[in-house]
Amino acid sequence: MAKKMLEVNGLTTKYVTRFREDVYAVDHVSLSIEEGKSLGIAGESGCGKSTLALSLMGYYFAPLHYMSGDIIVDGKNISGLDPDVVRKTVLGSDVAYIPQAAMNALNPTRRIITFIEDVIRAHDPKANKKDIREMAEKRFEEVHLPKDALDKYAVELSGGMKQRVVIAISTILSPKVLIADEPSSALDVTSQKVVIKMLRDMMEKGFIRSMIFITHELPLLYNVTDDIMVMYAGQIVERGSASEMVFDPVHPYSRGLMHSILVPEDGTRDNKLTAIPGTPPNLKKPPQGCRFAERCKYAQPSCRYNAMPLVEFAPGRAYRCSFSVEQLKEVYKSED
Amino acid sequence: MKNTLRQVFHSSKFVAGFIIFVGILLLITFYPLFHPGNPLDMIGVGTFAEPGTYVSLYDSVGTDTETLKLPDAADKRLDAVLGKEDRIKMVAWLSAMEVDIEGLDYMDTEALMDLWRANYDDSARPNGMTKAERNYYKRLNESLSSMGAGGQMKVFENDAAGEEQQIATITPEDYVNVKNVANTKTLVLGTDNFGRDVLKEMVSATRTSIMIGLIAGVVATAIGLLLGLLSGYMGGFVDDAIMFITNLFTVVPSFILLILISYSIGQEQRGASVVALVIGLTSWTWTCRSVRSQVISLRNRDHVNLSKLSGHSLARILLTDILPYIASYVVMAFILQVSSGILSEAQLSLLGLGPKTTEVPTLGLMMNWAMLYSAHLNGSWWAYFPVILMITLISFSLNLMNTGLDQVFNPTLR
Amino acid sequence: MKGYRKYFGKKIVWFLITLVVAVILNFLLPRLMPNDPVAAITGKMAQGVTDASASQRIYEKYQEEFGTNKPLVEQFFIFVKNLFHGDLGTSFSQYPRKVSEIIASSIAWTIALQFPAIIVGWLIGNILGALAAYIKKGFDKVLLPLSLFMSSIPAFGMAVILLVLFGVRLKIAPTAGGYNYDMIPNLSWPFVKSVIAHYQLPFWSIVLVSIGGQAVGMRSMSIYELNADYVKYARFLGIKDRTIVRYVFRNAMLPQITGLAMSIGTMVGGALVAERVFSYPGLGSTLFTAISGGDYPLISAATLIITLMVLTISFVLDIVYGFIDPRVKAAQFDS
Repeated sequence: MAKKMLEVNGLTTKYVTRFREDVYAVDHVSLSIEEGKSLGIAGESGCGKSTLALSLMGYYFAPLHYMSGDIIVDGKNISGLDPDVVRKTVLGSDVAYIPQAAMNALNPTRRIITFIEDVIRAHDPKANKKDIREMAEKRFEEVHLPKDALDKYAVELSGGMKQRVVIAISTILSPKVLIADEPSSALDVTSQKVVIKMLRDMMEKGFIRSMIFITHELPLLYNVTDDIMVMYAGQIVERGSASEMVFDPVHPYSRGLMHSILVPEDGTRDNKLTAIPGTPPNLKKPPQGCRFAERCKYAQPSCRYNAMPLVEFAPGRAYRCSFSVEQLKEVYKSED
Repeated sequence: MKNTLRQVFHSSKFVAGFIIFVGILLLITFYPLFHPGNPLDMIGVGTFAEPGTYVSLYDSVGTDTETLKLPDAADKRLDAVLGKEDRIKMVAWLSAMEVDIEGLDYMDTEALMDLWRANYDDSARPNGMTKAERNYYKRLNESLSSMGAGGQMKVFENDAAGEEQQIATITPEDYVNVKNVANTKTLVLGTDNFGRDVLKEMVSATRTSIMIGLIAGVVATAIGLLLGLLSGYMGGFVDDAIMFITNLFTVVPSFILLILISYSIGQEQRGASVVALVIGLTSWTWTCRSVRSQVISLRNRDHVNLSKLSGHSLARILLTDILPYIASYVVMAFILQVSSGILSEAQLSLLGLGPKTTEVPTLGLMMNWAMLYSAHLNGSWWAYFPVILMITLISFSLNLMNTGLDQVFNPTLR
Repeated sequence: MKGYRKYFGKKIVWFLITLVVAVILNFLLPRLMPNDPVAAITGKMAQGVTDASASQRIYEKYQEEFGTNKPLVEQFFIFVKNLFHGDLGTSFSQYPRKVSEIIASSIAWTIALQFPAIIVGWLIGNILGALAAYIKKGFDKVLLPLSLFMSSIPAFGMAVILLVLFGVRLKIAPTAGGYNYDMIPNLSWPFVKSVIAHYQLPFWSIVLVSIGGQAVGMRSMSIYELNADYVKYARFLGIKDRTIVRYVFRNAMLPQITGLAMSIGTMVGGALVAERVFSYPGLGSTLFTAISGGDYPLISAATLIITLMVLTISFVLDIVYGFIDPRVKAAQFDS
């Protein structure tokens, strides 16, 4: 069996709002990834997937707070470490991050190479300038980025180029786990393909040893990751291999996600699902029972009171619903 | 709307500013009701009468007296009469006579008088003292001892025949009740260089200055809003032309334009409203720029496009689809314009280009008069400090409200 | 490099345009007004002259002197030609001194007083604003209202308060002038000392007034930058907080340079009035005496010089900004 790069057990984190209310955006999430594998996490905006991405870094600052659970990276538990130790030894080298908004992720008044120097020196204060440049140039070449981009400012790069530079910077220390939070959602289709190809390419070359890819477009993950997890209201509702999840989703929400048409609505960055009416529950006061019950068309009265655990029903496959897998498949079949 | 208002009034900064501003408004509305009269009346003949209550000496004489025996009355009297110079002279005499003045505080009337009474001798001839100086001390001593002894004063009046008739004798123990004196006047802030009641004048000046600020603010906001809306929404040539002018008047200092225009208008034509108008005409550029950038971010929104497709007129789109979204910015810009309008008037007045001086006082004019008559150098703080404080408070209250609004509409700033 | 050249080119053209417009406005505004300045001056000079033809002669003499009897366009070219020769006419209130001479004797005082004061105020204000944004909590709670209050005090008010406090009450600073009135300007030590002593109060009053507004602006700017995406990203790359604070400070500070360029006119306006309070021998006092003396040529020249000063400073600041902030270049590509 391959080595586990990342193992997360019962991770819970919360936001504290300005009015001192607690919002549990990540609620007892467990997952694991083996070396060389990738995991996709899908869900609507507000489902907690971006918060999960931040929580997995083991580095918390207000308004996000760590509550409980373990994050084990390559055998090392990082969840209880001192923030400064995490910053120096974990961030960038163990766990790296590609932000959602790559457009504004780079300091506009710093050249790319100077920024890379800052990144490397943050982990190794003695690193010298020449070595850093050599290393950066080599890496840029390997990922087919022009070397002269190093001496530019972020504002001088095009959108797609900026995104690729961000990926190159995030992975400059060859992280064990890369967490990519919707790295392609702001890009046009061609650039999206380039970015995804670049990430896979880097996986193959071993610059990234495992990856978590977060998106609101479940179908997109089919081409990108090995496994897929669907999140709803801070919890995992279903997980399985990419093909299983795309072609044979079990949970009503996953099925809704798979079949929904995304309609971008103007004025917001959020996308609403037309196939699943309603909105996710308010996590300041999460529902007592199944969190999806409010919007689920198959929901029974009991669903609202009985919270379901995540149940594994086949190797690598788990779901969270009071109906049995057979019952659900039966219903789906009758609908088609 | 209601919700926004509630949010605004939850901002402590806005509320603080609002309270100060409303307080000032209440003052300028109600004070004149209770103290009517022309604020430019020169009630004092001298300049810079100190704040305090003035009791008519003339009326006091005829008023019924009470006899009060107050133990410290004589000392207080001495205290009030003995000037700093006299005290220093007394110490000089004592030290010339080699009296031990170790540890004597010359402002301590009692100790000084004790030493003086014990040692003064008009026949003594201290070294190096001229006759004139000795005579000075003699007179000083006489007036000091008469005060202590409680001499009486006699008041005479010329009767119909031109004869002096004694009408009253005043002893040091006679007191009148201020309530019974026919004429008293409390000047909370004294008088200015023209002998005007500073408080009354300032209340009126504040009103005029706020009016100037409001007129200037309305004019500047109207021009800035109109040009900003057109420039931002229409784009193209209109935008280029408007922005050219706007940028031009942003860099050419508006203060200088203000000086040139005000001077050219001439003292006679320069009423308060003209000054306000000129200030408004030279300070719209900021509003125009910020409105434009807001409009640009709005003009491609769906609801605007929908309106465009529905064939609505330009005016309708601007008024119903754009203006409501930028209203908060316009209000904030207006508040700042009012504040800077008041400041501009004051600065203009200080350069001698304020509203013409015969009609109404403004805060700037009061400041200018105080400076012209050197109130700041002769210790008449009441002539300028309340004015500075008032300008500062108005401006502070407006700034607070503005910041409060800013934080409500841009939550990250909290 | 092309982006920069385009930027500078644009700025230089813009500078020249504003320069021309400023000169035109300075020439045109007083002449467009219904009041004939020459008539006003004649009225002043001919006070007590009862003979109509005599005052007519005075009027014509001044018309000649100002050239107001010629067509407007011709007047303008004469005005510009004289301007190039540094000839700004003759002062009325200080006849027969040349206006250029009066301006020359006061401009150095203004420059030496105002620009250091504004820059020091700008620096202190920015540092305080950044601290308020970064520390937040108690410091911010005190500093923001305090800055707002400070920025609400008019420049002349601050000048008067300092003057009364330190000059009149505590007597630790002189109350008027640029140097002791019984001295003749020279380069001796006592004179320099006197200049420095007289410099303090006007300097600090301008500094104090500038701090508040800058601090408020910098605070908002810093908060905006602290919430920017690049800060979060840099944190998750493990970059030290201290380095990130440097990023934020730099990025918030740079636009403040443009802010300074845009508000320098207003600040100079306030400082000119403060000069009057101290009878400081700069352009502000010159302007004040010119206005109270009805000295039309001097007013015109003083306003022109002040405009040129402000235009030049904002031009220089724009150029400096273009050099040190790469975002400008991007903005140039965008437009």
